[in-house]
Amino acid sequence: MNRLSVTKSILWFITGLAVTFGAARMFFGLGAVSNLSDATPWGIWKGINVVPGIALAAGGFVVTAIIYVMRHHEYHRYAKVSVLLAFLGYITAATALVVELGLPWMVWHPIVYWQHHSALFEISWCVILYLTVLFLEFIPTPMEETSRFAGIRRFLIKYKIVLVFLGIMISTLHQSSLGTLFLITPEKLHPLWYSSLLPVLFFISAIAIGPLMLIVGVLTISTLYNKPLEMDKLSKLAVISMIVLIVYALIRWIDLAATAKLAIAFTGSWQTLVFWAENSLLLFIPIILLAIPSVRRTRTGLWTATGSAVIGMVLNRANMAGIMFVATGKAYTPTMYEIVISLGILSAAILAFLFCIERFNIWDVKWSSDEERPEASPRFGHASDVWLGTPRIAGRMVYSLVFVFSLAVGLAILPVNRIQSAGVSDVPAAKARGGATLFIDGNRDGYGVVFAHDDHAKRLGGDSACVQCHHSNVPMDKQSGCHECHRNMYVNADVFRHDWHAAPAGGNLTCNACHQADRQRTAETAVACDHCHKDMVPTGATITLEQYLAPSYANALHGMCIACHQEQARVLAEKPDLGRCASCHTLDDVPMYLPDDVITAYRDTMYNHVVLPQSNSQTDGN
Amino acid sequence: MKAILTDITKCIGCSECVVACKAYHELQEDIPRHWHRNDGLSAYNWTAIIHKEGPHYIRKQCRHCLEPACVSACPVAALVTTDEGAVIYKPEKCIGCRYCMVACPYGIPRYDWEHAVPYIQKCNLCHDRISQGKQPACTEACPTQATIFGERDELLAEAHRRITAEPGKYIDHVFGEFEVGGTSVLYISDIDLGFLTYPVKSGDKVLPKTTAPAMSAVPPAFFGMGAVMGGLYWFCKRRERLQNEKKNEEADS
Repeated sequence: MNRLSVTKSILWFITGLAVTFGAARMFFGLGAVSNLSDATPWGIWKGINVVPGIALAAGGFVVTAIIYVMRHHEYHRYAKVSVLLAFLGYITAATALVVELGLPWMVWHPIVYWQHHSALFEISWCVILYLTVLFLEFIPTPMEETSRFAGIRRFLIKYKIVLVFLGIMISTLHQSSLGTLFLITPEKLHPLWYSSLLPVLFFISAIAIGPLMLIVGVLTISTLYNKPLEMDKLSKLAVISMIVLIVYALIRWIDLAATAKLAIAFTGSWQTLVFWAENSLLLFIPIILLAIPSVRRTRTGLWTATGSAVIGMVLNRANMAGIMFVATGKAYTPTMYEIVISLGILSAAILAFLFCIERFNIWDVKWSSDEERPEASPRFGHASDVWLGTPRIAGRMVYSLVFVFSLAVGLAILPVNRIQSAGVSDVPAAKARGGATLFIDGNRDGYGVVFAHDDHAKRLGGDSACVQCHHSNVPMDKQSGCHECHRNMYVNADVFRHDWHAAPAGGNLTCNACHQADRQRTAETAVACDHCHKDMVPTGATITLEQYLAPSYANALHGMCIACHQEQARVLAEKPDLGRCASCHTLDDVPMYLPDDVITAYRDTMYNHVVLPQSNSQTDGN
Repeated sequence: MKAILTDITKCIGCSECVVACKAYHELQEDIPRHWHRNDGLSAYNWTAIIHKEGPHYIRKQCRHCLEPACVSACPVAALVTTDEGAVIYKPEKCIGCRYCMVACPYGIPRYDWEHAVPYIQKCNLCHDRISQGKQPACTEACPTQATIFGERDELLAEAHRRITAEPGKYIDHVFGEFEVGGTSVLYISDIDLGFLTYPVKSGDKVLPKTTAPAMSAVPPAFFGMGAVMGGLYWFCKRRERLQNEKKNEEADS
């Protein structure tokens, strides 16, 4: 395996994983694979693929401006690569949008439904237009060998300057409008990133990063295909970027100083650490390295400087689009699946890039015959060659195998729990505490209902009244608590244990003891529990046992209490409010038999309880 | 312009408004999910009661801003302000970009993360009811008249009347009178309600105005850039031609 095959195999593997996870996102919703939330509605798909994807694709307009407008023909060789990189960058962003948008099949709506106050409306239009421009700029390249479209090709090349102009003008708009997007969030975005100059900063940084991204592309080609580099030209391009980066750094830091935000950068919070990391990667390291001629003329120096700037750029945009939405009070950490989908889209783009430069006349790596392909070099000696067939098939076979394998791995590690639970965490229901007066707090979060059990029993008619609520027991049990069947706080629980009953699963009953011989064996066609367990349902109980799913603890108790309360509210003239929430969910004091910590927790949650008893995330709204 | 006035001192926290809202809009059962923000609102809870020490109960719901950030942010006009003052959502236009959630200064719009075909969910001030002359389900259900519905002007006057009638009982401020350009859901309270928005306050800043200058600069920027590039093109082309002529002359001589 050579360098190229290893790289491509890894890229195919990540792409395959992303395809599986992406399918899971499409079928089961955004919540099934991502940690996007009501607090951070935008995550790394916007922050790593969409917003930086567009910024990194800025080379398309910057380099064509240098070549065709400023007439620096010495860079002509780089025109096709930069257009290809830009085209793929925008396609990457568009692909990520398909995953990221809630209703991606409606993505064409901005064309029809106009809302010209929205920065996003303007960006949508620009991206659609610029994708068309890039397509027209790019399409002559693959047409080269065919004569059928030669007329179109000649036409497009003749009027290329029009496309170049349109590209520059449209890019100016949406590169800056990406910054405008975040102007509307002064209360959420961290002050070190929020600035009224965001549109200007976004535009200038896009200009700086465009040529650097081109250099990264050229370096990649050179490394993978062992091609020489034109160091003098590349380092000259890098200097242009460095000057723009310095302008960007000056504007950003002067703006920070002018708005008296510099002090925030030294407070030492994790946000400031990210701020310094971002500034070092995007500004300090590239500017210093590129300022030294002996460094910027070496392969390692260029790799370090441009790579650092590109990573810094991605970090900058990701901070804007989600990470630094700190004021929402809930930290966002992407899931593994989100990260893989994000990397998978990038991997697919790199594969498409390699495909294009191998097939089309873009760089001097186009192969005229299969024998020239680096992947075609024999790997296992003569005998293996015979078995694998021609070398050309060997390369494809490896990638196909890797891809199919990664699909399988993806299926194996799909977030099954997340998909099945639909975002509900499995909270076991706990027993109510106390005796005569119960404290019902199924999820033990401290927020509960005080239930005068003995008073209710007395009022409803003493011992004979038990069955009005206690509708069934665990087999062989005289009295079972609610939590024994209604095991989960929020989701239904399957209370039938097949493995305790059926002989094939370890029990001692044949199938036909419960299922009928001539019918399909399902829960619906099987006999009910009390067919054998005669003591499960007490005589006169209000509810009969019909199914094997016990409703959630919350639903079971609400259902049992509310039905009766509402009935009594109708009957009893002096208690018309009995059916209201507050008749049970009161602020009355907790029973004193509870441990001190429960009483403290109760008082705290009584005032702070909203709906959610999750302890791992900060509560806002209090 | 219709509005809701909620008097925190009158609310007993009975949650009848929440129940009425869920029943009227046929919202599905709400279960704690990992994507919720812990403020009681969710895709299936358009209003919620927040308990505060005291006890105080604060009903959280969409504020129906007079100049809503969400409406100015939406790229397809799926969120619109109606004549009655309600900010309503048109699901048939939505593309699911969630920019409204990013833009809202109160963090109100919620997303239906659970479903493969998700929509934005938020209070619509019972727009269908108020356009028929009825009042919203929540204010109708309130047993203590803590939250009332009416014309915004009249409710503002009523709010100021209550504040001046019982000096010391209320904070001398009608929450929502001027914030982010004014909201249709107003509060008077004996505690500060600043927690309903984010720690960094937008104050009276009208959020759509933060992006308006940049958006109005779009056409000049487009043609300005075209003109600059055109000039540059002309200049560079001329320089190129002159250089070529010079070269040719040198070659000739």
